[in-house]
Amino acid sequence: MNNADILMGTNLSKRFDNLEVVKDVSLTVKEGEFVSLVGKSGCGKTTLLSLLSGLEKPTKGKVILNNKDITGASEDELALFRRDHVGFIFQSFNLIPTLSAWENVALPLFPIKMTGEQRSRRAHDLLNQMEMGHRIEHLPGALSGGEKQRVAIARALINNPKIVFADEPTGNLDSVTGEAIMAILNELHKKKGMTMLMVTHAEELAASADRVIRMKDGEVIA
Amino acid sequence: MNFHYVVKELYYQRRRTIISVAGLSIGIALFIILNALSLAYREAARAPLKEIGADITVQRAGNVPEELTGAVFPCSAITISREEVSKIEKIPGITGIGQAVLVWVFDLNRAWIVLGIERDNPIGPAILRNFVTEGRFLENGKQEALVEIGYARQFGIKLGDIVSVAGRLFPIVGLVDASRAPKIAVANLYLPLKDAQAIAVSSKPLQSVSPFAPGDVNLLFIKADQQQIISAAAAMKSILGEKAVIATPESFLKLLGSLFALSDKFTLAASLIAMLIAILIAFKTMAGNVSERAKEIGVMKAVGWTQQNVTMQFLMESVLQCFAAGLLGILIAIIVAFGLSFMTVNIPIPWEMSPTPHFLPGGGVQLYKTLRLPVHIPATLAFFALLLSVFVGGFTGALLGRHISKIKPSEVSRHE
Ligand SMILES: Nc1ncnc2c1ncn2[C@@H]1O[C@H](COP(=O)(O)OP(=O)(O)OP(=O)(O)O)[C@@H](O)[C@H]1O
Ligand SMILES: [Mg+2]
Repeated sequence: MNNADILMGTNLSKRFDNLEVVKDVSLTVKEGEFVSLVGKSGCGKTTLLSLLSGLEKPTKGKVILNNKDITGASEDELALFRRDHVGFIFQSFNLIPTLSAWENVALPLFPIKMTGEQRSRRAHDLLNQMEMGHRIEHLPGALSGGEKQRVAIARALINNPKIVFADEPTGNLDSVTGEAIMAILNELHKKKGMTMLMVTHAEELAASADRVIRMKDGEVIA
Repeated sequence: MNFHYVVKELYYQRRRTIISVAGLSIGIALFIILNALSLAYREAARAPLKEIGADITVQRAGNVPEELTGAVFPCSAITISREEVSKIEKIPGITGIGQAVLVWVFDLNRAWIVLGIERDNPIGPAILRNFVTEGRFLENGKQEALVEIGYARQFGIKLGDIVSVAGRLFPIVGLVDASRAPKIAVANLYLPLKDAQAIAVSSKPLQSVSPFAPGDVNLLFIKADQQQIISAAAAMKSILGEKAVIATPESFLKLLGSLFALSDKFTLAASLIAMLIAILIAFKTMAGNVSERAKEIGVMKAVGWTQQNVTMQFLMESVLQCFAAGLLGILIAIIVAFGLSFMTVNIPIPWEMSPTPHFLPGGGVQLYKTLRLPVHIPATLAFFALLLSVFVGGFTGALLGRHISKIKPSEVSRHE
């Protein structure tokens, strides 16, 4: 595969008060690539992911995502950009406790003008793909950790993103459940050609990626 | 769909929703009740004049009679001339005038309060035709009289008797129950206006204190446009001079002495405070809600909700709650208003308006018009309260936009 670059971070730095958490990091992800980002706790992985995905603005440096320079974008422009091009999977699932499984999946679509039926159909399809067809009306509180993460993956996919950012997607799960979730993500990459950037601190999970980027104290070391 | 989320959220957080709706609704109810009470006292203050078919009564104070013999005017009601009446008729806003002559008659063995009335004028004491308990009302052009039932009993006067008043003879054709009749201009004997005028014209002691020409009167009952009562009253004062005694709904309101009756400002201030408390309750619960749901807001933003999308969501939650609180507040207010409508008010009738000499029965006794407080909630007030509560919801919801904008989408990456 010799695909185009879909994500390009150049000389990225992020400073919180006096603490420089990300230091002059440059990295590139190609379309269809599965990249994992590993490193010790506190080394700045989540922060770097936030910079690359447009959740947070860098103190210095530039991010080009899907051919768009998002560095100078406003908060709302970034929101709309994420809505249209980016999917997120988090360690702590981050489901809305009041909404049922399918409504959580459809959450990114709420502000978009479309019929309730269109939203619902898409959410149901994705939940069925995640083998969650039997839990569609359940509230997150009634779901197991693995089930919650499946709902979260379905939510990440509802806008047909160009790239999915996953921050320790198995971090809150036991190893068996974690493997099942990893299997879903691997399949997404292999069968659907989904571009993925995944943060983890477990070497064995990182191994399944096309490429591993290592971080230490805010810097990329390999 | 968003609305669905709003309802789900409010239901999920129902403890909070119930507390904020309840708190807010009490504020709204208080607002409605305070204003309804103020309106009720206002309406009550109109009652003493309304029951005699008028909005304003007019008389003029003068000198005390030199001696109590023959026919005299009470010092609270001396001559109002025909010219003055025709000037008053021309004041803008005045829609009708009733006239009467009130005289005290001291005959050898008896004193009378005598009221001369216009038989066919719906404005003024002719309303007494509804309170004739025996016999009939005065007939056109006849020299005859009605006597008040309590007075008749005391002095043994019966239907068909002929009584002598200031040297004139009047057959008694009816008995009037004044305890049920309007409290203003209560008398012992009721005569046709022209006979009372004739008595006044021919009385020397009366003429020496207050010259009285044929066609003059000493009591006026005036109907006026509600909006122009105050200006009309002022115009009359300038026609009749400083000694004019002009009773309006406002003057009765002052006599009522209630806090609500006394001052619009009190009602305004109290209802503003009620609304302020309501706003604070709404804001505090909504603000607590926002900070509790910071992570949730982070999620919405991370998955692509704009600042405006999130604010709209919270705005709808807040407006819906406040709308519900408004409806509940109206309901509470209706129930409280029903309870309050069993309260009675006693409106004191000034002695000048129903002057009984202190040595006659009822003299020196304070007269009251007693009625149930007419508390009701006008649709416009309820609608305004509802509008106000929705506005409170919108206002707090909009203020929350600022809190919401401080929450960053990267909030989602924090985990405890
Ligand atoms: N908003 C912030 N304000 C201040 N400091 C922050 C903020 N976010 C992160 N940090 C600090 O930056 C450093 C890196 O944090 P980050 O979450 O990126 O690490 P991480 O590699 O993802 O760690 P973990 O594996 O534990 O998730 C930490 O020391 C953290 O305390
Ligand atoms: Mg992290």
